[in-house]
Formats: sequence, C-alpha cells, structure tokens
Amino acid sequence: MIISRFVAVLLALGILSGCSSMGVEPWERDVLAKEEMQLTTDAIEAATDDHIYFSKEASSGGRGFGGGGCGCN
Amino acid sequence: MKNTDKISITAALTAATCTLLGTTALQPVQAQEEPGWDFNTSLLYYAESDDRVQDLSLKTLSRRTFVDDRILSLGLTVDALTGATPNGALPQSFPQTFTKPSGKNTFTTPPGEFPIDDSFRDTRVAISADWEQPLGRLYAMNVGVSASAEYDYLHLGVNAKLSRDFNNRNTTLSGGFAFASDQLDPVGGVPDPLTQMRNVRDDDDGNGGRASNDSKEILDLVLGITQVMSRNFLMQFNYSYSDSSGYLNDPYKILTSVDPITGEAVPVPQIPGTEGPSHLNYYENRPDTRSKHSLYTQGKYYMNGKVLDASYRYMTDDWEIDSHTIDMRLRWPIGDDKYLEPHLRFYTQTAAEFYQISLVDDGQPLPEYASADYRLADFDAITAGLKFGWKTGGGNDMSVRLELYSQSGNVSPSQLIGSQADQDVYPDMDAIIFQYSYMFGK
Repeated sequence: MIISRFVAVLLALGILSGCSSMGVEPWERDVLAKEEMQLTTDAIEAATDDHIYFSKEASSGGRGFGGGGCGCN
Repeated sequence: MKNTDKISITAALTAATCTLLGTTALQPVQAQEEPGWDFNTSLLYYAESDDRVQDLSLKTLSRRTFVDDRILSLGLTVDALTGATPNGALPQSFPQTFTKPSGKNTFTTPPGEFPIDDSFRDTRVAISADWEQPLGRLYAMNVGVSASAEYDYLHLGVNAKLSRDFNNRNTTLSGGFAFASDQLDPVGGVPDPLTQMRNVRDDDDGNGGRASNDSKEILDLVLGITQVMSRNFLMQFNYSYSDSSGYLNDPYKILTSVDPITGEAVPVPQIPGTEGPSHLNYYENRPDTRSKHSLYTQGKYYMNGKVLDASYRYMTDDWEIDSHTIDMRLRWPIGDDKYLEPHLRFYTQTAAEFYQISLVDDGQPLPEYASADYRLADFDAITAGLKFGWKTGGGNDMSVRLELYSQSGNVSPSQLIGSQADQDVYPDMDAIIFQYSYMFGK
C-alpha cells in the first residue's frame, strides 16, 4: 500500500509540476538522439543479463517485465 | 505535345482532387527513415565454477522497420545447457548417495562436496514477436508474444504496453502488463512436497505415483515515467508488480534432515535388494503464491562523449525477500568508431522466510514450507566486466564482453547445528560470461 501510494504521488508530481519545467526544446535533442543515450543500447545484452540474473537470484524485472520463461536449474 | 498535355491535365486534376479531399494532409510530415531489416546476433558462453551450469547460447533479434515508425521484432534464442546446481543437500564428512530425479538410478557425492546431479542436460528454444507503432501523435503501443520450450518446461506469454508523451515529448508515461502461463514436466514426475526422497523404482508406474506435470501463472504490471532532465541527462522511474501463483517449487531441490545434536545427515536403514538415498532427505515446499513489488530508476548522463548509465532497483516480496541492485556502465569512446565499456553490478538479497539449510530430525512435525535453494538464501553478488565495441569496415557494429559474476552466501550462525559450524553450508559460486555480438543490416 505504502509503495503504491508513493508511486502514485511520484507520477502525479511528475506530470503536474516538476517535469513540465524540465526538458529541452526540439532543436536541443542532438545528444539525446544518439544511439548510446537510449535507455537500452543493446537489446540482446540486456535480455541476456535479465535471463542470467533471473535464473540465479530471487529478483527479476524492474527495467521491464519480470522475464523468465525457464525452469532454470 | 498532345500526350504531354494529357499528362499535365491528369496531374493537375489529381492534385486538385487530393487538395479538395485533403489527402495530402495525411502524409507524414516528418522525414521517414528508409524501411528495412536489421539484425542483432550474439553468441554467449556462460560457465559456473566447480562444473556447475554451462550454457552456450545463440541469440538473434531481427527488426523490420516500416514507414511511420512501425517496427516488427522477432527474437530467437537457442541454449545448450549442461551441468546442474547443488540440489540443496548439505556436504557431509562422509559420502552420500541420492536417487536421481528420474528415479531410475543413484549418484554418490564424495565427502566435503555439495551434492550435484551432473547428468543434467537440456536444450532450450525461445521465440518472441513484438509489434510497436505510434498511435496518433503522442501515443505509442507495443504488443508481443513469447514462448519457450525445454525438455521439462513450457512457457507461453503475452504482453502489451501503452505510452504517451507530454511536455513537448520531454516526459513519457507508460503502462504495461505481461501474462505468462508456464507448465513444468519434471523428469520423474512432480514430487510430493516434504516427502522423503524415494528409492530407485519405488513404484511400478515409473513416476512413483506422482503427477507428471504442474503449472503456474505469472502476471506482471509495470508503470513508468521517462523524463528528459537536460540536454545531456535522461532518467527513468518504474514501479512494477508481479504476482505468481501455482506450482512455485523447484522439483529437483531437497533438504537434508540432520541430527539435532551433531548436525550431520541422518542415515536411512538400507533394505537389502533396494537402492536409494543413503541419508534422510525431503523434497522442498514453497508457498503457491508470491507477490513482488519493485522500484527501479535509471539515469543516462552524457559527458563530453562518455555516457554514464546507472540504475538502482529495490525489490520486496511476501516471501520476505528484499533486494537491492546497483548497476553502472561507462561507455568510453576511443576515436570515432570504437569504445570501451566497464561494467559493475552489486546485488544483495535477504533470505526467504522459509529458507533453511537443513531440516532437523527431532521428532517434531516438519514446517509447512522449507527450501534450501541457494537462490532463496541471504547472499551478495558482484559482477565486474569489460566490453569492447567497434565499427566494422562495412559500418556494422561488433562487440565482445567478458564479465565475472560471483555469489557469496551469508548463513545466520543461529541456523548452524553441531558440526555445520565447521563446514561450508552455502555453495558460493563464480561464473564467467563471454558474449560476442554482431549487429548488421539496413
């Protein structure tokens, strides 16, 4: 409950106030458009890591969905 | 002359009609990238110390970009797996014999070693298909399906995500879900929880009267916000919820039942003519539901050509596992077409409330839930790696990375009985990850 409230507040704050004053103009996106500035730069490497750590640890997901789909021993 | 006149009249009429109908307004205003395929392929070698799990994995991700930013992604992974992880039983100062999961024969572990059934082999094939496209000017959607098959496991999943841009596209809100339905067909059938490890050919039907399969369902929900902080700085915050229900045990994991004074495995009287475990072991049992909450934040910061990628994740669940993960990468360009990328990752988790290294043979009833699976223990892990990437002569991308992953457990002294204090009770592990990737196309 506490966590979901925290997230709701975070999202609401994000949209309504703080975020609207942040950011850049469309003509200032040269750096953000670079391949190495994407949130996931290497999809296969990210999927590989998610799968390894899903198999070996009790946590998964976060960045995206929980991953899985294996009876990993 | 006549022909030319005809063409120009037709062209003029077409233009006039289109203008009247407003069809030109439907044409995309922004420049479109030329549609085409691009391919991301990789070969992964993953190997754990002490002859535990080894995986040779081939992965491909093929993307077809259509006009209007619509993208089809098709994924294929083939894993060849050998070796197993410790089965949960404790090392002893004497040899121990266990019945293999198939129930057809036994294996014996030498003194001082974590018991591992080294006959494990498996091949895993996983496929996925995703479709993403903009919806109007500010929305985008993504839908996907996934499936994977192993000898003893089948996974089927669907997922969908919707996002919307705000604040001049500086803020993106997204929400999505994934649903998976997985079936387990363990070798030798599904063991009854917290029953004694069976003898070889314990029953006539080959499965020891066990069910041949069981299943679980997993629902994931993710809410996220991506925010451009400045020209060089991008951040993401995600909250995710995951609910699993059904058969959540590992059918191959057991616990040693130990003497309450010495802490040593309790011998099982051997009946002549039968073959089976030399000591008392029980199959594990976990609750049949699990809810997880995660908070995740990631930042990307550009500094004079170098890019810092840092993330933190907090996870908590109703099995009382809490975990913290910090992941950092620094992409360091070398000239125009090469880069080095060091990677560090720290992970720590607390134990599940039902994790215990052994059961105690003291005549008391067994607990409702118990597991000695090392993944449910209190442990820390660290990953350190280095990636080198470069552009080929043809303008494609290649990279190699080498990483070391190391786990070390923290078993509470209050869990240790008798001689357990003097021996290894957690199977620490080191693994190497080597990956070669090649991206080409377009």
